Parts: sequence; structure tokens; C-alpha cells
Amino acid sequence: MGFLWTGAWILVLVVHSSPIQAFPTPEGSQDKPVHNKELSAERPLNEQIAEAEADKIKNIYSPAFLSENKPGESNYSFVDNLNLLKAITEKEKNEKERQSVRNSPYDNKLNMEDVDSTKNRRLIDDYDSTKSGLNHKIQDDPDGLHQLDGTPLTAEDIVQKIATRIYEENDRGVFDKIVSKLLNLGLITESQAHTLEDEVAEVLQKLISKEANSYKEKPNKPTSKTESQSGKIPEKVIPMAAVQDGFANGENDETVSNTLTLTNGLERRTETYSEDNFEELQYFPNFYALLKSIDSEKEAKEKETLITIMKTLIDFVKMMVKYGTISPEEGVSYLENLDETIALQTKNKLEKNVTDNKSKLFSAPSMKGHEETDSTKEEAAKMEKEYGTLKDSTKDDNPRGKTDEPKGKTEAYLEAIRKNIEWLKKHNTKGNKEDYDLSKMKDFINQQTEAYVEKGILDKEEADAIRRIYSSL
Amino acid sequence: MAGRGGRALLALCAALAAGGWLLGAGALEPGAPAAAGMRRRRRLQQEDGISFEYHRYPELREALVSMWLQCTAISRIYTVGRSFEGRELLVIELSDNPGVHEPGEPEFKYIGNMHGNEAVGRELLIFLAQYLCNEYQKGNETIIKLIHNTRIHIMPSLNPDGFEKAASQPGELRDWLVGRSNAQGIDLNRNFPDLDRIAYINEKEGGPNNHLLKNLKKIVDQNTKLAPETKAVIHWIMDIPFVLSANLHGGDIVANYPYDETRSGSAQEYSSCPDDAIFRSLARAYSSFNPSMSDPNRPPCRKNDDDSSFVDGTTNGAAWYSIPGGMQDFNYLSSNCFETTMELSCEKFPPEETLKTYWEDNKNSLISYLEQVHRGVKGFVRDLQGNPIANATISVEGIDHDVTSAKDGDYWRLLVPGNYKLTASAPGYLAITKKVAVPYSPAVGVDFELESFSERKEEEKEELMEWWKMMSETLNF
Repeated sequence: MGFLWTGAWILVLVVHSSPIQAFPTPEGSQDKPVHNKELSAERPLNEQIAEAEADKIKNIYSPAFLSENKPGESNYSFVDNLNLLKAITEKEKNEKERQSVRNSPYDNKLNMEDVDSTKNRRLIDDYDSTKSGLNHKIQDDPDGLHQLDGTPLTAEDIVQKIATRIYEENDRGVFDKIVSKLLNLGLITESQAHTLEDEVAEVLQKLISKEANSYKEKPNKPTSKTESQSGKIPEKVIPMAAVQDGFANGENDETVSNTLTLTNGLERRTETYSEDNFEELQYFPNFYALLKSIDSEKEAKEKETLITIMKTLIDFVKMMVKYGTISPEEGVSYLENLDETIALQTKNKLEKNVTDNKSKLFSAPSMKGHEETDSTKEEAAKMEKEYGTLKDSTKDDNPRGKTDEPKGKTEAYLEAIRKNIEWLKKHNTKGNKEDYDLSKMKDFINQQTEAYVEKGILDKEEADAIRRIYSSL
Repeated sequence: MAGRGGRALLALCAALAAGGWLLGAGALEPGAPAAAGMRRRRRLQQEDGISFEYHRYPELREALVSMWLQCTAISRIYTVGRSFEGRELLVIELSDNPGVHEPGEPEFKYIGNMHGNEAVGRELLIFLAQYLCNEYQKGNETIIKLIHNTRIHIMPSLNPDGFEKAASQPGELRDWLVGRSNAQGIDLNRNFPDLDRIAYINEKEGGPNNHLLKNLKKIVDQNTKLAPETKAVIHWIMDIPFVLSANLHGGDIVANYPYDETRSGSAQEYSSCPDDAIFRSLARAYSSFNPSMSDPNRPPCRKNDDDSSFVDGTTNGAAWYSIPGGMQDFNYLSSNCFETTMELSCEKFPPEETLKTYWEDNKNSLISYLEQVHRGVKGFVRDLQGNPIANATISVEGIDHDVTSAKDGDYWRLLVPGNYKLTASAPGYLAITKKVAVPYSPAVGVDFELESFSERKEEEKEELMEWWKMMSETLNF
């Protein structure tokens, strides 16, 4: 009998407890949190790069890319300028080298996703349980400069990417291009560019040493005119030399080439540049004069920065000429313009003792002489310098007429307090409680304003003003 | 070749110039005199304390402080954290007992301007706060009832840094480009952990689709990819048991509801969540009061826009276009809060003169949506002694998504009208199921008193002892 009871009891228990198991509870499935850890994992680099390349092409060919897109979508900010840059400058290169290979597999995608270019979804890699949907962030990021959830890549990521790309394309010019773009937009500083170079060199060496046997070592022939791209980094010398021919500056081949042999592997830019670049830079008389005029001791950093920037620009232009993006004549006149404008701007900058020249230098020169924009940019930068560092406070947006502001604000507060007191009085049914409530109110206000000042919700002056108003009631 | 190259170079330079310009144009508006003039003008355009002008960060703060000073009895300002550049993420709370969660009182939030250049939401929320205060003091019964029975949190801007950037742009450059992301360049509405993916996997393989983020605070704080604004909001969501919420955007005109991400990965596909029915109702509760949103003949904002998924001014997120990492779905899958996304204007940053019209168009919608929090079923889960059981699970038969009870044992379950079976359960307790008939509104009160296993065991033991005693007495052993 006892057993019957117990049995019945157990049965009842089971019946009651089964609903608990049937419905999912927050405590259930303890092993699912494992997936959460994967939320921050990244997809293998090759995939990211491959997708970034594909997206780039897609964006170039999509009609919707440059016009206004669906709201609330792509990562519009300066990143999109970078996209545009990359897209345009690499379009030619892609067309030449990759068209046949890449476009066909992606043709279908191009057609399908034409309507909505910036919100592409990859059907591949979709249901991978170890990866979260953060991966799909990459669709908004054709140039591959962003992580899964929209945050910018770290330095190591960039290094890896660049090294891999250089290796794939066997061209050191890739590095120059990428770095100059990064410098353009102020995404990295000069010193970071140097560190980057070293790190990329290291990674590259590793990559190369793996494949060392399959490539023949080509000797460093500075004057060789062959266009062959295979082999190691020193081959930069060759395209440089070839390009030199196009320059109407009437260069001295040997001098220039000697200069260019400085790049053995990926050496420190500043070192080699400062040693040898003067020869090349003699073709930029203004700039050269400027350099000379800089006191090497006091502003060595400035000097180095300038030299490096100049070098980068020159390389960049050379690369474009080499790839036929611009004609040699265009390249020359560009550089001539560059020389003049840069010299001028840099001089002004140095006089003001501002270190962040980069954006100015890169944005100043243009083929069609956008001098107007130069001066306005300077103005804007000036303003930014003066106001940009100020943390947002009530003083921020008030360069003049400061007396208007506090008066207007205090008025508003006064008005609000008046309304409050009125309402409180109306809702006090017991007349004799009025005074009591007011003092209680004052205490409350004092307390609250204190707390608000601490939390950054109120300024000290505002709090004082409010307390003053209340105490005068 | 040269021509193309020339064009490319020109475009490059233009882009560089544009980039430099945009980077260079910092915090200050190019027309400082205009700015000062605007401030002087501000006092003139007021209507009952509401100035229909754009509020920069200082003005935003001032407006909230003014509102608080006017309605100290029912409001409180607080901050959930700081933006990347150090601006406070300000919230104004309206309630008959500000600063306190009254057991049984549902929590509601409005968040605007998550994309800094989508400015209408930000302004509407400032107007709304002032409006609620004014109406309360005028004796508006609807508003009084709302404020007494709800705890309303209003965050006019989740991305104040982006807004400053956007507002500093001149004329046409405003709108699509600058100021959308936070100061780090992160798009906040793609920055939330993508719980949709996990939910979809769980759908296939078995597993929950609610409260998907365990050990939350640690993960959030350690995740370097989350923007400070995102982190602040996640903490906010976890700290306060929000029931209903809306996220205000711009660039189109529609009320958008979960899920925002397609299951298959395609760009567009209706992806319903388990609570599709109530979400459609919630979205319609907003859109039906907004004349342009609910206008069936409204032309699309841009010629080539695809509005095919819009129904009565509402749309499923993924049917419109799929996005990962959005705040809306994060709310639904990590907490009890149901959130929708309201797109309020074709132009992201329209001219100031239009703000008054946007307010008129959205005023009733904003109030109507607020009232939706008082629907479905609500109540308390307690034990037999009357102590609240926190984190109990409340599940609804037929809807594969559970909610949990808050610290005081209180829960709220939004539901469309119908007959339901609700089950409350908690570890160590015997679950109880109750039948409920739910009208459109107000919410039906259903409380649960759960018996714990140990209590039950004790009962049974006692009964057993009683029986044994009786038997032994009868049979004399």
C-alpha cells in the first residue's frame, strides 16, 4: 500500500514536472553559450579578402553605388571615400589583370544584386554554426578595411592583409598605394606607416621564404627595362626605371636608378629616403628648397615626414603612370603642381608648428587646380584645430555673444521653475502645507542638482543658478 | 586610356578633396553668425516651451533640464553612459515615482538618433518629453494615466557625436554621408551581437530563442568590438525590465518589426518571429496615426525604392532588407523587450522649418504606441508564502518565445486578442498553467502562486506519516 502511495506520488510529480521540461527555459541548453564565444571570431583571411575583392568589383559596376542608397544601410562615413578611392584607382588594374578570371563567377551576383548593391548577402558561409552573422558585415565593406561588426581593423590585420596582397601580386607598389591612401585619409600616422612597413616586410619574408624555391632570384639590375613582375621585392626597381622614361623632366637615368636601388627588400623608408632622395627631389625645386630651409635639428621629424610623404606621392604617381592610369605628361604636370602647392602649404603649416600636415598635403594638389578648396580646407582645419579639441560644453558653440546664451538659458529655467511651482501650488489641496512643501522642494532641488552635476548632466553654474532661483522664492 | 585615366585621377582628387574637406570641417559650423542668430530666433518659435528647431548637444541638455525643472514631480534625468567623444547619453524618465520601478508597472523606452544624421527622431523625442510634461500639468487625462501607470524612458540621442558631425555639415552634404556612425566610424545599428543567427540555428537544432546572451556583463565589457554607445545600451537593457520600445530612424517612412535578418541569407525575405502577430499590431498602432506612413498612395521616397513589402505603413524588417547586428532584434532575443524600428522621414536631416510638421504627424503615433504597453497579460509570479519569484519563465502555448519575471516577480506579456494558455515555471517549482482570454486592451491580470518541490515533498511526507499513524493505530503496531 505504501508503495502504491509512493508510486502515485511519483506519478503526480512527473506529470507536474513534465511541462517544465517541455517549455524552453532560460536555464536550458547550457552548451549553447559556446556559440557566443564564437561571436568575436573572425573568418579566415583569404575568404575575407576574396569577398572584399568581389564586393569592390560589384560596387564599381553597380549603378546604385554612387547615388543615394537605401536608408539605414551601408557604413557611410569616410570609409566610403576610401571605398571610392580604391574602387576607382584599382578599377584599371582589376580590368587588366582580373577581368577574365573574376568577373565570370561573379557575374550572376552582379546581375542579381544590382538593385541593392550595398546590402549584399553571401549565400555561401551562411549557415556555419561556428560563425555568427557578424561575418556578413563584410558586405558593406568592399575595401576590406573593417572588421565583422563595423569596427576598423587592427594593425596586425592590416599587416597581414597587405603582406598577403603584395605577395599575391608580387608588387611592392601595392604597399605604397595602400599606405599612401591610409596616410591620405589620416588613418595612420607616419610612424605607424614605418612600423607597418617593417611588419609587412617580416610577414612577407616569411611568405616568400616558403616559396623560395619556386622563384628565381633576379639580380638587382637598376637599369633593366624588363616589365617582368615575378620574383622578389627588389623588382620595384624595374618598373620605376621603366616609368622614368616617360617623365619629361629629362632625368638622369643612372642617378635616378641609383636612387631607386635603395629599395632592397622593404627597407626603412626614412633611412633610405633621407640618404638618397635629394637627388630625385631635385626635380622638385620648391620642395627641395623648403626641405633645405628646415632646420634639421629642430624639425627633423617634420623633415622626415615631408620627405616620406613626397616620396610616397611620387611612387604613387609613378605607379599610375606605369599602369597606364594616367599618361606620363599628366603625371609630370601633376607632380609639378604638387611641388608648388605642397611647398607652399607645408611652409605655412610648419610656421604654425602644427604636426598633422598629411591631410592637407594630400588634398591640396589637384589636376584642375582646386586652389579655392585648398584655402577653405585650411580654414576648416584651422577652425577644427581651435574648436575640435574642446569637449562639448555650453561654451563650445559660442564664439561670440556669450551674454545671450546664459541669459536665454536662465530665462528658460526660470520659466520652467515658475510653471513647476504654479502646478505644485494648484495640486496642494491643503493650503497650510504650502510652505512646508516649498522647503522640502528646495532640499530636493539642492540634492538633485548636486547629483546631476556629479553625473555631468548639469554644469556647476547652471546648478548654482537653479539653486539661487529656488532660494529666492 | 589616357581619358579614362584622367577621369579617374580627377575623381580621385575630388574624392581626396572631399575627404579632406569632410575631415577638416570639424565641430564648428562654417556660419558662426548664422548659429548665433539661430539661437536668438529660438525663443520666438516656441510653442508652450517647445522650440521647433534643431537642438545640438548643449541645447538638448538644456531642453531636458528645463523640462525636468518644470515637472520635477514626475521626471528625472539620468545618463546610461558616454559616447566615444564623452557626451552623455541622456535619458529623461517620466513616471509618477521617478527613479523607482514600481512592481507591476511596465517600463517603456524610446531611443532616437542612433544614426547621427537621422535627426528627426531626436527632435521628436525632445518635443515629446516637453509635451508630456505640459499635458500632464494641464490635466490631460490620457497623459496623466499613462504617466501614472508606466515608467517612460526617453533617450533623444544614442549617437550625439554623429549628430554633431552631421549638423556641422553645410547644406546638401548633410544627409546620407556624414554623421551616421559613431565617432569611431562604427554603425551602431550593426554593432549589436547578432543573436538572430543563433536563434535561427536553435530553430533548426533545438534551443531557446529568448535571453540568448548569458553571462552578459562580462562578455559585453570584454568585447572590444562594441562601441561605448552599444555597450551602454546593452547594460541599460539588462538593468531595466523593459517591455516595449521603439527605435527612431530616418531615410524612409515605415514602421519596421522583427526579424531584421533573413534566415536564408538572401537580401529580402519575410522572416517572421514567433510574435509576428503582436508586432504587426504594434507597428500598425504607430503607423495608423501618422498620415504619411499610413497613406497607401504615398509615393516612395526615392524613385527606385522598393516599397513592395510595406503593408499599412508597416513592414517586416527582413522583407524590406536584411541587416545583421541591429538593436531591434537584439532587444527581442536577449531580453523581454519588444522593439520596433520607426523610419520617420524621407530626408534624413530635413530643413528645420519642417520639424513642426513632423511633430504634428507623429505626435499621436508616439502616444498611441506608448499606450500599447498596456496590452496582453501581466501579473506576478510568487511562491506560496507570497514572496516574489524572479526570473520565472512565462510561456504561452502556441508562441515559441518566453518572457521572464523581473525582480519583484512581475511580468508583462504582450499579446493580440485571443484565448491563451499561460504557464509559469521556475526551477525548483511546480509549473502552473492558466487559461486567459485576452482583449485588445487593457492588460489582463494573471498571478501565479507556485509551489516548490520541497514544499510538495513535505506535504506528501506529512500525508504519508498521517496515513502510517492511522494504520498503526488501527492495526495496533
